[in-house]
Amino acid sequence: MVTSDARGSIAAVVVFAVSLLLVAGSAPPWCVIVALTCCGWRLLTATGRVARPKPRRGLRFALGAITALLVIAVAASFRTLNGLAAGTALLVVMGALKVLEARSRRDDAIVVAVALFLVLAASLGGQALWRAPIYLLVICGACMAFALIAHPGSALTTRAALRLSARALVMAIPLAVACFLFFPRIAGQFWTLQQGGAATTGLTDEMSPGSISRLAAEYDPAFRVRFEGTPPLRAALYWRGPVLNSFDGFTWRRTGSWVYRAAPLDLLGDPVRYRVSLEPTNQRWMFALDTVDASPRRGVFMSHDRQLTAPEPITNVTSYDAVSHLRTRSTGPMTALGRDYETRLPEDRNPRALALAREMRARAKNDADYVHAMLDWFRNNGLEYTLEPGTTSVDSVDTTLFDSKRGFCGHFASAYATLMRAAGVPARVVTGYLGGEWNPAGGYYIVRQSEAHAWTEVWLDGQGWTRVDPTAVVAPERLQRGVYEMLAGSLPATSTYLHNTRWINRLSLLWDGVNQWWQDRVVEFNLRTQFDLLRSLGIDSPRWEHLGWAFALGMMAWIAWVALTLRRGVARVKPDRIGRAWLRATRKLARVAPPRAANEGPLDYAERIAMSRPDLAVPVKALAVQYARLRFGPAANAADVASLEREVRRLAV
Amino acid sequence: MRLRRRVAAWAKRRQGDDHLPFAVSSRRVYILPTRGGLALAALLLVMLLAGLNYSNSMAMLITFLLAGFALIAMHLCHRNLVGILVRGIGSVDAFAGEHARLFVTLENSADSTRIGLECATDDSELVLIDVPPDATARADIPIELPHRGRFPIERIRISTAFPFGLFRAWTWVHTPMSVIGWPVPRGRRESPPEAASGGNAPSVVRGGDEEWAGLREFRDGDSPRQVAWAAFARGRGLMVKTYESPAAHHRIFDFARVPGGDVELRLEQVSAWIVAAHSRGERYGLRIDGRELPPDSGNDHRARCLKGLALHGSGEPW
Repeated sequence: MVTSDARGSIAAVVVFAVSLLLVAGSAPPWCVIVALTCCGWRLLTATGRVARPKPRRGLRFALGAITALLVIAVAASFRTLNGLAAGTALLVVMGALKVLEARSRRDDAIVVAVALFLVLAASLGGQALWRAPIYLLVICGACMAFALIAHPGSALTTRAALRLSARALVMAIPLAVACFLFFPRIAGQFWTLQQGGAATTGLTDEMSPGSISRLAAEYDPAFRVRFEGTPPLRAALYWRGPVLNSFDGFTWRRTGSWVYRAAPLDLLGDPVRYRVSLEPTNQRWMFALDTVDASPRRGVFMSHDRQLTAPEPITNVTSYDAVSHLRTRSTGPMTALGRDYETRLPEDRNPRALALAREMRARAKNDADYVHAMLDWFRNNGLEYTLEPGTTSVDSVDTTLFDSKRGFCGHFASAYATLMRAAGVPARVVTGYLGGEWNPAGGYYIVRQSEAHAWTEVWLDGQGWTRVDPTAVVAPERLQRGVYEMLAGSLPATSTYLHNTRWINRLSLLWDGVNQWWQDRVVEFNLRTQFDLLRSLGIDSPRWEHLGWAFALGMMAWIAWVALTLRRGVARVKPDRIGRAWLRATRKLARVAPPRAANEGPLDYAERIAMSRPDLAVPVKALAVQYARLRFGPAANAADVASLEREVRRLAV
Repeated sequence: MRLRRRVAAWAKRRQGDDHLPFAVSSRRVYILPTRGGLALAALLLVMLLAGLNYSNSMAMLITFLLAGFALIAMHLCHRNLVGILVRGIGSVDAFAGEHARLFVTLENSADSTRIGLECATDDSELVLIDVPPDATARADIPIELPHRGRFPIERIRISTAFPFGLFRAWTWVHTPMSVIGWPVPRGRRESPPEAASGGNAPSVVRGGDEEWAGLREFRDGDSPRQVAWAAFARGRGLMVKTYESPAAHHRIFDFARVPGGDVELRLEQVSAWIVAAHSRGERYGLRIDGRELPPDSGNDHRARCLKGLALHGSGEPW
């Protein structure tokens, strides 16, 4: 049996339990389980199924001990109480204890407040669109709980409380939108919390045989790109990532090209402008179309080999505008140090490949001729493009080229760069992504992890670093199609099914488009976009004051609207003729005696007047009797009312 | 507390005395956040700072939504009070040491129930009532009576924290009124002997064994309930029905003749006699402060006699 007093407690506990599920991903599981157990026990006692122990000193002491224990447990598992994850865990534990000890309405309200804090923590952790309705649901529940807590045992039904909350929240939406658009934002942070260590995803600064093909099985988006104007051809969408220039015969590593001075770069053709929105990788790589002009924003480092690096690991969706040129040229010479650096190879690895390189370079007229001859060799030697190239050895390039003759893009890039370096042509491996899936629902490209790619760059005098993609000669269709279309057989069945079933793919693209809109327009909304909005409203040089004005105007309009909508007609009470006459009489008499008390009947009042002013006794008593007769007797006729009015007029004090 | 009294005094100067019945207009409804409301404001501030700090749009949206919600809650709270009709205020006096009762009748002409209306005087506890649509409800406020005498009630506060307990709107009703604490019935002295009555003072109150004694002219103090409306309708003027006890005896309690030195003890003694006589259904009169209440019986008579005792020495007419 649920008493109406217990409804507030039950609502508070339920709201808290649901908000626990929101942070279940970021708080440690034991915290959430402890808290949910507390909620379950509280529900059982609130509904009267389990008796609740009386508050005693021993119980209070036990609660205090449990509190200390749980706080220590949180501190021990995080080694700190600072930081979002530790703070969330602490909040969960404290909320659970409040649930345990809640006895008053105030305690219940605190539990609801903790639930709202958990919603905040959850939203700091994730802002995806699908979370929004859940947050809204918890908030609506919290409002309902506030109402039920505030009015125990009243005529307020649970359904009425829910309706009131939902209505108030719906009415608050216009204000929320206006505030969101015009509330002045700040640039940067004034306080930083440690972010929890999430797993790293995507490309790393190493490439071994097979590391790229592992990524190919992942369907998750790496980033999305919206072009300004016509997008370039798909085959030109080489997204530059970590550039690797040190090879030990098996693994390519990034050691940085800062050791030598890079030649200046000329940008040719029209610039391509676009906006990238990068999914979190917990790494610092930022991807741009080959070749990017400059660092897209302050703090992002652009190396001499045109690789972008963020100042911090990317833990949230990060967007940036970039400009690239598809064609470049370096006329300056390569320094001797650079040439030495970019042609280094382990002498004792891959002997067959090294021999092939020396033989072919001897036959070629120059470096450019050698580059093309080697591409022809790749085309004509029966190499197979596959996700499953089989086992490899320490001489990984020899295995790829002469034994298995099978490889993925990483194998071919590694082999090609080795062959170049062996012949004294500076070469390096570039990892990144190739292509992307066009989303017609949102008008942008989705570049998935499965599009991960590796290619080579060779240095040709008079031309500079030139992209050579050996995969393009082994499997030319890779330039036009994604890995999912080409190698469906070797990829996980569920993800290829999802990708290649037309309506599912279309639906998922639509959902991706809606999410991208949310990401672009809502999540990424900041001071800059705020000023853009003001510009589109006709303010040429927007300043903070304009934001303030827009904010104030929107607020006032909303308040006026709310006041009008919620106005309830105020009933006007007009006393009838009898009442008015009596009121006139009491006002006259108020001059000679204390006024009539609200709880004083007319006859008592007349009696009192008569005591203080015996001369008025007769007329006042007569008047009071006449009034009482008309007021409380059967329906009065007009003549009697007129007579009363006459008597009141005649009354002289 | 002093601030509260000064604010209340300012409100009284601003509003003046009220004449019942009246509708609570928005001009006289005051509203402030409750402690819970202030706590929510603090929570929203933290959320806003977090949202601004991390440029987290979701947190900002949630903050603004809740802020809008709180403002709506303020309007809903205000609206719950505005337009309510204070229909009437009545009171029942009681013995000192007990609680007098103050009845506040509220009427709701709106189409939804007004939930969680709190009525209280400056010193009393809150009394919660709900007023259904197009109906009235009565709050029954207990007023503590620490000693005998008149207790003026400067103001009644009608307030509400509906619907979310985040704001409290209130209005003050200023109508001059008071409740009376009667002397506690206490004392062991014999009551004065009964005197034979002339039999010419029939009572308007019908006891168990009283007989119909005919109609007489309406007199001050008669309740409209005893008026013979049938006779009035026949044009015979305002008459009341009277009844006569077969044993037409009565006692007169003369305060001046009660022995003893302490005034309070003597008043308590008379009070005890009145209560005893009333419970036996006897007729009795009271002589005090040079005034006499002729022998009679019934609740109204008892209340009038006790009021006379309560106000002894206060110098005010009763």
